[in-house]
Amino acid sequence: MKGTFGDIVITGLGSVSAGGVGTGELRETVALGRCMLTPVPDEILGESGHLWGKATAFRAGDFIPPLKARKLDRCSLFATVAAGMALKDAGVDMAAIPPERVGIALGCGFGGIGNSEELLRGYFTKGPEGLVPMLFPNTVPNAAASNASIEYGLKGPNVTQVQRFCSAESAFLMACRFIEEERADIMLTGGADDLNPIIMQGFKTIGQLHSHAAGFGEGSGIIVLERRDHALRRGALIRGSVREIRTVGFLLPGREAEGAAMLKGDAKPDIVSLSGSAAGLPILLEGMTELPRLEVGKLVGRSLAMGGVAMAALLLFLPEGKRALHLAASPEGPIFAIDFLGGPTVQS
Amino acid sequence: MPDRRWRASLRNKKIAITGIGIFCAAGKNRSSFTESLLKGKCAIGAVDLFDVSRFPCRIAAQVRDFDPLDYFDRKTAGRLMRADQFALIAAGEALDMSNVRSHYGPYDIGVSMGAGAAGMYQGELWLGGIVRGEKSRPSLLRGILPDRTATAISGEFGLGGYQGSITTACSSSATAIGWGAGLIASDRLAACVCGGTDALSLLTYGGFNSLRVTDPEPCSPFSLGRQGISLGEGAAFLVLESEARALARGAAIYGYILGYAIGGEAYHMTAPEPTGQEAARVIRSAMEYAGISADQVGWVNAHGTGTPLNDVVESKAMRLVFAERADAVPLVSTKAMTGHCLGAAGAIEIAATVMALNAGIIPQTLNFRGKDPECDLDYRHDGVRASDATIALSNSNAFGGNTTSVVIGK
Repeated sequence: MKGTFGDIVITGLGSVSAGGVGTGELRETVALGRCMLTPVPDEILGESGHLWGKATAFRAGDFIPPLKARKLDRCSLFATVAAGMALKDAGVDMAAIPPERVGIALGCGFGGIGNSEELLRGYFTKGPEGLVPMLFPNTVPNAAASNASIEYGLKGPNVTQVQRFCSAESAFLMACRFIEEERADIMLTGGADDLNPIIMQGFKTIGQLHSHAAGFGEGSGIIVLERRDHALRRGALIRGSVREIRTVGFLLPGREAEGAAMLKGDAKPDIVSLSGSAAGLPILLEGMTELPRLEVGKLVGRSLAMGGVAMAALLLFLPEGKRALHLAASPEGPIFAIDFLGGPTVQS
Repeated sequence: MPDRRWRASLRNKKIAITGIGIFCAAGKNRSSFTESLLKGKCAIGAVDLFDVSRFPCRIAAQVRDFDPLDYFDRKTAGRLMRADQFALIAAGEALDMSNVRSHYGPYDIGVSMGAGAAGMYQGELWLGGIVRGEKSRPSLLRGILPDRTATAISGEFGLGGYQGSITTACSSSATAIGWGAGLIASDRLAACVCGGTDALSLLTYGGFNSLRVTDPEPCSPFSLGRQGISLGEGAAFLVLESEARALARGAAIYGYILGYAIGGEAYHMTAPEPTGQEAARVIRSAMEYAGISADQVGWVNAHGTGTPLNDVVESKAMRLVFAERADAVPLVSTKAMTGHCLGAAGAIEIAATVMALNAGIIPQTLNFRGKDPECDLDYRHDGVRASDATIALSNSNAFGGNTTSVVIGK
């Protein structure tokens, strides 16, 4: 399916990842092509030779009072801090906007797994008395978006998506649709994921450390979306616009070309951003092999919702008037193609 | 203010329900679930899926006498988690009923899932083995993430149009149905299989017990002396398409998704905003999107968990929305029949609402223990009632303050 969603523009970005805390650090990492993946400590996997993208520079206490930060899981901390950065970047004054007009649609793949493990370990070792109630609320994948909504008073649509490597892109589609329907004037979207030892051990168990789970990362990339007229009314800086979103659930066996054709846009992009397993699907890249490519996941790590960081990085580098295609894919679907136009240029 | 274009497109392109499938403790298909609904049969009972002997609450609406090999071959059953199995059975029933696959191309049909704990039950078997120092089967982790089910449905039924999983805890599948309706209304899909699934797990069973919000007796929403929820499990799916397309292909129509709204309370991770104003705001917004007035609503299928706080707040929200008419709009909770099925709850309750509208009844809220002065509406505690209502609402709330209200038409 495909759709344009009116004149939706990007007015703010926020990012936390192995590439640094803040979009300035992410920009520098990407500009220098600096790989921030580091070795996974041997004690986690019982073997060496694996890399991950840990957000080691991130200190929650730099942004959130320690007592409050203690109540949030790591994924929620990433999302809450990145959302705060994006709101600030967009110049959104929550005191001046009805809170029910600002929403959040977030992709989140592994949020809640860490708390789930800790809660269950308590049960397995001590029985019901070992269950720590405080851990339970943040076992849900929507904890990250909801904690961010509580922190900033976002009362508009609040939704979390997880759909494989396209979790952030799935949320992005929802955010655009909510603006199109006028369910919200401003939507925060993107993704958040954390990475901890139990997730890595799980990847090892199912034999994915050398395939889909190689070079996983953590962090959050948040994008502020709104209608152009809304952005102009409040004097916001427009970083780019959303031209079209196309998606298929998966490429049906024997009908791959038909599905791939549905993902093609009407104009050739100037730059291609690849996320998830898109680089492994040549059928998506036909006719675009010579174009400049941005693969942020190779630098900071990929994950189910790290498309948020990838899209934020793309928008940081997209020159005014240039067209970008962001492709995200998972081995069993879905596949997303999102067209962006750089700067405040109005779409033709 | 809702988008007039969208509202106009919904009116011109009413979203029809042409397939319903359900699989839960209260019924393993439409007919058995409808019978439970009409007769007011509570499916909450003993749990033997895992050891609950050390918890204060030892009951749930567990799907009993379930052998996956009755539905799947051994190889297929082996690669599916319990929640996936429920989902494929219910989605299959809905697809068979609608017959959409014979009329639309596979890239024109999508899957919009609401998910919860998903394959956590199998994941716990893996983790428990690790903690005990035993070797655990890798396949137990295959469906640990909630997006696996949408992929399984897409692959099993060859639906390539869209694949998405909403994970907002207990409001997931209600939102998934609203979202799917929007994809049809905007012509982005010809048909969408929308719903949710969830399975019991130690994580949720232990977690809710640790929060002391489970009732040792079958839950009794809106009753005096209620202590909390009874967990449940299952799946429900609807097939949605535009009314015009459904009529053109001669499909039977069982109801309509007239509109929906979602919001965040931005108040607390587990407690509802206590005045009910936030919940009321979302209900009003759903009616506005549906283009209906409060006077047209016959009854409401509540979130109705049976926790002391939720039921009072939801009752307050009803008074705020329906004002002096609130006493005439029954607020019923089918969770007393199905248990709280978490990620599947919204879909099961929307399916129950469609079935009740078609049967011309308002369901009973079971397990009445006494009148609570703080819950002062008509909850249909005294039995199923005949009704000529053509419109009902279904409310869903969740951890994180996620709130969804869906408007359903006959």
